[in-house]
Amino acid sequence: MRRRVTVLATAALAGSVLAACGAGQNDDDSDAALIVGTTDKVVSIDPAGSYDNGSMAVQTQVYQYLLNFPAGSTELTPDAAEKCDFEKPTVYVCTMKDGLKFANGNELTASDVAFSFKRIVDINDPNGPASLLGAMESVEARDDKTVAFTLKAPNDQTFAQVLVTSAGPIVDEDTYPADGLLDDDAAVEANAFSGPYTIGEYKKNELAEFTVNPDYDGTYGEAKSDVTMRYYADSNNLKLDVEKGDIDVAYRSLTPTDIDSLKKSDDVTVHTGPGGELRYIVFNLKTMPGDDDAQKQAVRQAAAYLVNREEIASEVYKGTYTPAYSAVPEGQKGATEAFKDKYGDAPDQAAAKKTLDDAGVSTPVELNLQWNPDHYGGSSDQEYQAVKRQLEEGGLFTVNLQSTEWNTYSEERVKDAYPAFQLGWFPDFPDPDNYLTPFFAPNNFLQSHYEDDAMTKLLDAERVDADEASRDATLAKAQEMVADQVPILPLLTGAQVAVAGKDVKGVSDTLDPSFKFRFTALSK
Amino acid sequence: MTTDVLVAADTPSAEPPGRRGGLSPLARYLLIRLALIVPMLWVLVTVVFFLMRVIGDPITAAQGGRLTPEQIAERKAEAGLDRPILVQYVEYLGNILRGDFGTTLTDNREVTDILIVNGAATLELTFWALLVAFSVGIPLGRIAARHRDRGPDVLLRLFAIVAYAAPVFFVGLLLKLAVAPFGWPTSGRASTATELTLAKVEPQTNIMIIDAILWGEPEYIWDVLQHAVLPAIALGLLTGGIFLRLVRVNLLQTLRADYVTAARARGVSERQVERKHAFRNALVPVVTVMGMQIAILLGGAVLTETTFEWKGIGYELAQYLIRRDFLAVQGIVTAIAFIVCIASFLIDAIVALVDPRVRF
Repeated sequence: MRRRVTVLATAALAGSVLAACGAGQNDDDSDAALIVGTTDKVVSIDPAGSYDNGSMAVQTQVYQYLLNFPAGSTELTPDAAEKCDFEKPTVYVCTMKDGLKFANGNELTASDVAFSFKRIVDINDPNGPASLLGAMESVEARDDKTVAFTLKAPNDQTFAQVLVTSAGPIVDEDTYPADGLLDDDAAVEANAFSGPYTIGEYKKNELAEFTVNPDYDGTYGEAKSDVTMRYYADSNNLKLDVEKGDIDVAYRSLTPTDIDSLKKSDDVTVHTGPGGELRYIVFNLKTMPGDDDAQKQAVRQAAAYLVNREEIASEVYKGTYTPAYSAVPEGQKGATEAFKDKYGDAPDQAAAKKTLDDAGVSTPVELNLQWNPDHYGGSSDQEYQAVKRQLEEGGLFTVNLQSTEWNTYSEERVKDAYPAFQLGWFPDFPDPDNYLTPFFAPNNFLQSHYEDDAMTKLLDAERVDADEASRDATLAKAQEMVADQVPILPLLTGAQVAVAGKDVKGVSDTLDPSFKFRFTALSK
Repeated sequence: MTTDVLVAADTPSAEPPGRRGGLSPLARYLLIRLALIVPMLWVLVTVVFFLMRVIGDPITAAQGGRLTPEQIAERKAEAGLDRPILVQYVEYLGNILRGDFGTTLTDNREVTDILIVNGAATLELTFWALLVAFSVGIPLGRIAARHRDRGPDVLLRLFAIVAYAAPVFFVGLLLKLAVAPFGWPTSGRASTATELTLAKVEPQTNIMIIDAILWGEPEYIWDVLQHAVLPAIALGLLTGGIFLRLVRVNLLQTLRADYVTAARARGVSERQVERKHAFRNALVPVVTVMGMQIAILLGGAVLTETTFEWKGIGYELAQYLIRRDFLAVQGIVTAIAFIVCIASFLIDAIVALVDPRVRF
């Protein structure tokens, strides 16, 4: 008898495997609901507790913001607000639309808006976006329809952009605690959402079911279908599932090899758009090679002459990254190609040699270049091997590549341990200032001893300049200065990539520099 | 560590043979096993705690990069990580005694919540893997023993070594690539539609097959079974390889025992000898090893769960490791140690009940 059971169990398993040959996938898409797959993780649905891509992907669908970016645009458009503008140089006022409601039936008023921003600052969660509100002195609801932000600096042109970031979602003050976070299950249960979708079934970092919110009145317009987000750990599974059609869209993050392979598939389309990510080398102006500032600058400029960004983008990243020729990458407003203008777009050995010779730098320059193996993707190794090869090609440099695990790397890089090192940057909001002030203002996060009064003046000026043309001119000057001084050497900017079935529409519309993946744009 | 202290002093009274201090051998054995768990867990907790601190401070690991040194220092103070390490250690021990394994740093989840929610998935995978392991290991072990040193035996021994030695993620990848072109599910515990439906099941067990049975529609049960096949094979073959070799070796040993020779002399057929006399006794060591395997599997099969997006405890552990959330890792590893120790104890108890020799 027992033998029979064992045999039956074996037969059942074997039968299952054999049946696979005839098995089709469960393609029950009767209501044309879409499934989007991602490897990004949700930290918290509560805006006060998260500042990451995975959480933002959820918040984008379920919360409203005062202002927002329509699909394919970086022009700020009213969302929950009717209009926003400076009332005084330090007072930014928004007037709310009439009749806004959360899905739980509560009214959405200016009081909710003020509460939303206040609690982010008050809670100041380690994973939260409080740092984005550094420019805000205070916020108050004057009445049900008017909310006023008092700013620390007059005419701060970046503040409107902050309203669209992870610090911007509007929450229901009757649902969310003022002094603590609301956990995800409680947030889903409370259904205090006013965005284009509400959340149905929710299993954190497994599945999230987004149901069209018929009462939504905002920037994105009417959602076309319900969407389920499916979370993956292994990008290989994400690739297999989008290839088989088990999911409709794969958005973040497939490997360059997977994307290259999917480009050859007849079943899916690879969509790309500007991504905003910047990969670059930082030079520590104190510990880098060179006897004085002039020699150190010459070394940095020589490196700028020698790197071949195009080769790294195509060979290492299979086109998922493109060359970055400025601190403000291509696709961003006000971006220039300052590095291309000064150093060209191909390696120039002669110019590099002349620069070093003119400064009296003896060659080969010995450069210790640090890179990180576990924070900026699996191809960092190949990327920095390519950089080493390019710098050494003409004999002007001897590069010692060293890698350190992120934990140590984060500590050591700010202690002058690395003369030159790899970093990456995702913008907080799609404004050129976000690629300049955090890097080149005094006490910047690079901690590389770069500080320049002329640069500080330029940055102070562009941040408060309401005239677009004159601001762009100031930004161009700042980028030109970066190209000349080379405190950082921009290498690549990341394209956003989404892979979708042939029957999925609207993917390209939402791949824009705002970095918001809007489900409302998608349909089958 | 000696166990003498745990044994009550002999009393010269008229104790029944085999009893000491009024305790039966079984009770004494179980008490000793139970008492050994405490120092074992203490050592484990201590090692995990200090290892995590050796790696570096958790705040910098999880949140360094965009934070200034001042912000990191501020957050260390908030989390109490700026206090002397011994103070942190004593507090951590106290929390564990209260059943609090801590909170994750990167997403504010209670570790106990992770154990409850994701533990069900691990339990389910353990069941499927053992089903495969038994289905493969026991019958093939018997076949190998029957054909000792002949073709089938050599082939099966080779298979056992490969099954045991091949990395799970590699086997998993091969399996996925083999079946993907046919549309067979390669990851997850169920298709999206099934998961959304089964999330509505009351009472929710989080064990997908039970939820599917409770829902009652065959298509969902089939969908769940389909998803279980690959991870069950990948993990089950590993354990099955161990079982195969154990069954073979023990069966060969028992077939040489005197009582088996005596049975043969009585004219009992070879088939009957193996089935009635040798096989049952050969299974005792297998049960012991099987117990340890179950305990290990319950701790979460990190590679299998990650390879197949099977969101159990091992999967979560891997995710928190990737995110460098060392507070979460510390809590989960400690909790896993508890699970493994308790599971081992329960299995030892069962083996002791089944096999009286163990108690003496």
